[in-house]
Amino acid sequence: MIAFENLEVRYPATPVPALKGLSLRLERGIVGLLGPNGSGKSTLLKALLGLLTPSRGSGTVLGVPLGGAEAARLRARIGYMPEYDALIEDASAYEQVAFWGELSGLAPEAARDRAHEVLYFVGLDEARYRPVSGYSTGMRQRVKLAQALVHSPELIFLDEPTNGLDPDGRRRMLDLVLRVHAELGTGVILASHLLGDVERVADQLVILDQGQIKAAGSMAGLRKALARRVELRFLDPLDAAQETALEELGAVLEARNGLYDLELTEADPTAAFRWAQAQGATLVQVTPRHDRLDEVLLRALHEPTPAGGGGN
Amino acid sequence: MPIYAPTLPPAPDLRHGHPPAVVLMRFDLTRLWRQKIGRFFGFAFLAMLLWKIARIYVDHLLNTNQAFKPMQDFAKTILTQGAAFQADLLNPASYLLWFLVALVGGGLVARDTLYRVRPLMYAHPVAPRDYLLAKLGFASALPFVILLPFALLPWLMSLLLAGLNGPVWATAPLRLLPAMALSSVLMGSLAVGASSMASTPRAGIGWVLGLVLGAGTLASMIHHLTGFRAIDALNPVLLAEAWPQLLVGVDHPLVGWVPALVGSAAHIGLWTWIAAKRTKPSEAVI
Repeated sequence: MIAFENLEVRYPATPVPALKGLSLRLERGIVGLLGPNGSGKSTLLKALLGLLTPSRGSGTVLGVPLGGAEAARLRARIGYMPEYDALIEDASAYEQVAFWGELSGLAPEAARDRAHEVLYFVGLDEARYRPVSGYSTGMRQRVKLAQALVHSPELIFLDEPTNGLDPDGRRRMLDLVLRVHAELGTGVILASHLLGDVERVADQLVILDQGQIKAAGSMAGLRKALARRVELRFLDPLDAAQETALEELGAVLEARNGLYDLELTEADPTAAFRWAQAQGATLVQVTPRHDRLDEVLLRALHEPTPAGGGGN
Repeated sequence: MPIYAPTLPPAPDLRHGHPPAVVLMRFDLTRLWRQKIGRFFGFAFLAMLLWKIARIYVDHLLNTNQAFKPMQDFAKTILTQGAAFQADLLNPASYLLWFLVALVGGGLVARDTLYRVRPLMYAHPVAPRDYLLAKLGFASALPFVILLPFALLPWLMSLLLAGLNGPVWATAPLRLLPAMALSSVLMGSLAVGASSMASTPRAGIGWVLGLVLGAGTLASMIHHLTGFRAIDALNPVLLAEAWPQLLVGVDHPLVGWVPALVGSAAHIGLWTWIAAKRTKPSEAVI
């Protein structure tokens, strides 16, 4: 779906590039794009939309080279739902969705028919003739989703789609995102600060910070790694030789007062007891660590960037 | 509780749509319709048009009916004749047009800025030149279309009533249409450039009126302080007024050919450049 190699994007008259040599390959699915403000998420979306030309490196989106002459044609295959309220306040949902459909290349009559269909799909069938200025936040978000879907894109970018929604509204929006992928086969890039949203719908994750990829991979792989996280408590603190030998069990993430946070090489906590027996140490407690995604995100943001700033 | 469709069928073929600039212009026309400013301006322009047509008919009566013969010489002293009459066909509608252009054009770009839809347009297959072309096209086409009956209806009526000897020259449209096109592009570019500097439609209206009146005042002040007449070409109202006169062969008292050409080119170039700079994608915040 998307592939980059050493991608660098630079804004005019700024010495520091906004994206620094990203390498990334994403398969069709729902990709969660996480990162703090100013991390380069918007710049990445602009580059993917063909609005910014890479200053170095190369990449393709849906098989189309980035920064090439086909950027406009590529945008006809992509839907974009912005974070902010990009709604034409003096028009009804029906009028503006038809308008966006026409801008994407639909004939006027086809765009009008399509506006009805897509507004029904997002649950705005009955309200579609009302001016959007009278819509609730949830309805406005759904109009934005409808305009992104009106031309049946192969890939959609959703920028904070659950912003300002109550829990029920969030659930409905995320259900729609899942439906878009499952029923329409549309690839989804979901940029969000709400990690629970990403956790719920995404099957791949990219963590960006300061224009670099801090971590990237499949959610299944991430969950698997999380399942291997344990905390070991020993009766007496381990000596230096035992601490070194502890690496046999897996990576030691943190050690404090006889407590050791480990990411086990194998997802089998009983290996820790066997290791303690072999080392003559008294293991009194093995606690699985149920890290949440936000802890993973924070850790990734504070870890040094892997060489090449790339993901898988 | 929203009701959701069981599924969404695929969209029809995307290759049958209209060019983006046409879609944008059509949408702006729909917005104009909603502004409901047509009643006042429609009445005003219609009244002016009726006066022009009535003049053709009165002229015809004076020339053909012996009963009005004594009035003919008197009428000639108070009513414009010949080339000046041709140029005057577009006035005073062209003055009122500035207000209409300010009301409509002031919001053309500013409304998109206010609603933040321009970045979303660029996320579609819309190039900045499509956007600029649509806005300039709409803002220029509007005054041109409104002026069209003022050039064509009196001409048609004159031809029908008096043939080639009527008060309107048979070749008048050939001279008036280019003048209208120049004036309309001048109005359109100024409105779009001013609107691109505003963040709300109301501010856009203020910008257009401020620039039109401000440029005129500045030009007048410099003219009277320095005696440099050509500076009057800074005044866009005078330029719009001068073009029909110059093209039908009447000397404008303030603006000659060269200042009119330079002034119009400077205005059109400057405001188009500003609009292009202010609407490029880098201004967009996604």
